[in-house]
Amino acid sequence: MNRLRAIGKWFDDRLALGRLYDQSLGHRIPFSSSSWWYVFGSATLLCLIIQLVTGVCLALVYVPSPDQAYASLEYLDYEQPLGWYLRGLHFWGSNFMVALVTIHLVQIFLFGAYKYPRELTWMVGSALFLATIGMAFTGQTMRFDQDAYWGVEIIVSILGRLPLVGEAATHLLQGGPIVGAETLSRFFTLHVFVIPATLIGLLVIHIRLVLVLGISEYPEPGKVVDPDTYADEYEQVVERTGIRLMPEGGGKDLVFSALVLMAIVLCAALIGPKIPNGPADPSLIHTVPRPDFYFLSLFAAFALMPPDLESFVIVYVMPLAVVLLFAVPFISRGGERHPSRRPGAVILVILVLTGLFTLAWEGVVSPWSPEMDAWSGVPVQPRFVEDRSPLEHMGATVLQAKQCRNCHALDGAGGKRGPDLAGVATRLTEDQLIRQVLQGGGNMPAYGNHLSPHEVSALVAFLTTLHAEGQAPARDSASWARSARESPGSR
Amino acid sequence: MKEKPLLLAFVLVAALGCDSLPGRPDPADRYQRPSEVEDFALLYATHCSGCHGADGRNGPATNLGDPLYAALADPVEVRRVIAEGVAGTPMPVFAQTGGGTLTEKQLNILAEGLKAGLNGSESASRLRGAPPLTAKAGVRGQASTAQLARGEQAYATYCARCHGAEGTGGASGGSLLEPAFLGLVSDQALRTTVIVGREDLGMPGWQGAGERPMTAAEVSDVVAWLGSHRSSAGDAASGVSIK
Ligand code: HEC
Ligand code: HEC
Ligand code: HEC
Repeated sequence: MNRLRAIGKWFDDRLALGRLYDQSLGHRIPFSSSSWWYVFGSATLLCLIIQLVTGVCLALVYVPSPDQAYASLEYLDYEQPLGWYLRGLHFWGSNFMVALVTIHLVQIFLFGAYKYPRELTWMVGSALFLATIGMAFTGQTMRFDQDAYWGVEIIVSILGRLPLVGEAATHLLQGGPIVGAETLSRFFTLHVFVIPATLIGLLVIHIRLVLVLGISEYPEPGKVVDPDTYADEYEQVVERTGIRLMPEGGGKDLVFSALVLMAIVLCAALIGPKIPNGPADPSLIHTVPRPDFYFLSLFAAFALMPPDLESFVIVYVMPLAVVLLFAVPFISRGGERHPSRRPGAVILVILVLTGLFTLAWEGVVSPWSPEMDAWSGVPVQPRFVEDRSPLEHMGATVLQAKQCRNCHALDGAGGKRGPDLAGVATRLTEDQLIRQVLQGGGNMPAYGNHLSPHEVSALVAFLTTLHAEGQAPARDSASWARSARESPGSR
Repeated sequence: MKEKPLLLAFVLVAALGCDSLPGRPDPADRYQRPSEVEDFALLYATHCSGCHGADGRNGPATNLGDPLYAALADPVEVRRVIAEGVAGTPMPVFAQTGGGTLTEKQLNILAEGLKAGLNGSESASRLRGAPPLTAKAGVRGQASTAQLARGEQAYATYCARCHGAEGTGGASGGSLLEPAFLGLVSDQALRTTVIVGREDLGMPGWQGAGERPMTAAEVSDVVAWLGSHRSSAGDAASGVSIK
């Protein structure tokens, strides 16, 4: 024992480990900040470590060239023992990291922890947030499958619209005038060298700031931050109630990190990695490429935005949002910290999150993208075939053949770009149906020149049968008379 | 010493266990280029089920799922129809050479699959006396007055009870004479429907339409009679599909 201690002391004399501990893991934090609300930062750090370790392992197999990237992922998925699991860990690690860094940011914002003297901590944190997003963004491109195209396309179209530097920036990122072989190398370099190095550098500063300025005490309603007195007050709080971060204060961090680790390990084992959905070959793209979940809201925003608004958003709104993010601590530098005294901040968070989630949901449903195979691959359900005449059957076949189904679902099955046609006859009369089909309108192409008179008759005959059970079809007086004339014998 | 086998067993179980975790990508989900798909069921589901129904039945277009269809179909003709489509009708061209999406190999797989039967094939013993599913060349097109009269007769015998005395719809079948219907359907499709029937929709085939099975001549006659109601000779479907 004594011998061990002597060896320890020998090292401590030289490395000053004891002092290092006192200033880092052993530094004193206010008792109140050992809270379940304060665990997200350390959990994000855990994710980063997982990403670094799994990322290095993946890099041993991954080949960053367009013709081999996809194949090397398939090799990991299907051949290399547990290669799929490695991919799963990296995939879920990234999902959790994006989620946790976002929660961390929101929590800091809600608790007013960015206020004096932690402005710089917030700014570096914001940069870390952006770097994490950048990692996720370039990471999904590494799959280099059809979905990866989305990432490349969107970033290129964003950069391309920046004034002055636009063209040069896209050229730099793509490694040429178009998305090509060089592009993947550029994204790879960003993903494994440039952004991680930046991220680690920023993280060192971030942690240094946390250690120097101390962890903010748990906010109390009525207690205001005054830049003139805050430092002294904080020192007193630590003096009075301070505990060591490790081992006393950090127990909750350890527990939460363990839970996150377990969640990642389980998600990777039970759900697994995202299977690449086909090589990024433009001639193969059958469906609209779709990003990973954290970009669904951006994806939806760009899909839903009127095209003439896009440039405005890219050139003004997005940079402004970033500037605002960094400026937060200067916009509200002191004052109350507790959320109950800052309704504006709470409302802002609710608004932004609701907006993001709504858009993300739209992104999941993506009603704007037609379903390319519906016309031949989504059956007309038997209940729309039963009890219908030969002409009406023909109409249903025309509906498929003219690919109306790619935009229009029948009772939920089919494209979602136009309204579901299952109850259309309850809404529209025969004449209105004819007009809609011939003239189109409201994002529907006009079919006047692409349908023969017979096809129109058959189509409309089928559409008029599509009314909800027990509900009368929409009719005008003329069609009542017509059908009364025509009906003897026919059903 | 004793632990060794135990340890080995543990490692084995762990390794096997990991391999069967639900997160492990299933090679069956592996992305295939559409042109590499060689599974009949998948090809049928993606390219044909939209019109012909999920299992070939209960769809708006020709009943390809009836075991009777499988037994009677001529695979060469089936392959030709899939490749070239039926001009003037909603049946599209599928061969890549004609602007479609299917390779020659896939066309073969589909034709063979349909011949084998989406729901099995009718046994030969029940097919005795079946009219040929594909009409012979030259049988139709210039139907004589005599043939039309025989066709009308056959209609009254076999079809009127459901489709109405006039052919414009009756107790349990809709109108067969709507110009738009006749204008978009080929004689071959009418023929297939009369012979195979649409059991899925309550229409019997050639054996069950009347008191005795229809003869080959009666089938041709009734199709000619229906065809004679087309509104104009220019109707796209009136001269196609039969070689
Ligand atoms: C590119 C996608 C697209 C295709 C293809 C398409 N539609 Fe539409 N359709 C729409 C949209 C979008 C609307 C909604 C128009 C509006 O809001 O005014 C619509 C509206 C309609 C409506 C009115 C529905 C209602 O409830 O008001 C009918 C009927 C209709 N389409 C029939 C057809 C038919 C028949 C075809 C094929 C010949 C077809 N559509 C092809 C996109 C499409
Ligand atoms: C857009 C609708 C549509 C799709 C998709 C479609 N068909 Fe058809 N098919 C039809 C129609 C309508 C007919 C009847 C054509 C006629 O009038 O001759 C038909 C006829 C046929 C026939 C001839 C039946 C006979 O009378 O002997 C075959 C065989 C056939 N289809 C096979 C297929 C196969 C295989 C596929 C998928 C690769 C397919 N069809 C996809 C609409 C479709
Ligand atoms: C037992 C009643 C019954 C008899 C007999 C019958 N049919 Fe039908 N037929 C139907 C039904 C039911 C349908 C499905 C469409 C409908 O309900 O109108 C149908 C549909 C059709 C169709 C269109 C197929 C489609 O996809 O809609 C044709 C063509 C047809 N029959 C021709 C004939 C001819 C020709 C005869 C006589 C040889 C005949 N039918 C005898 C009941 C019958």
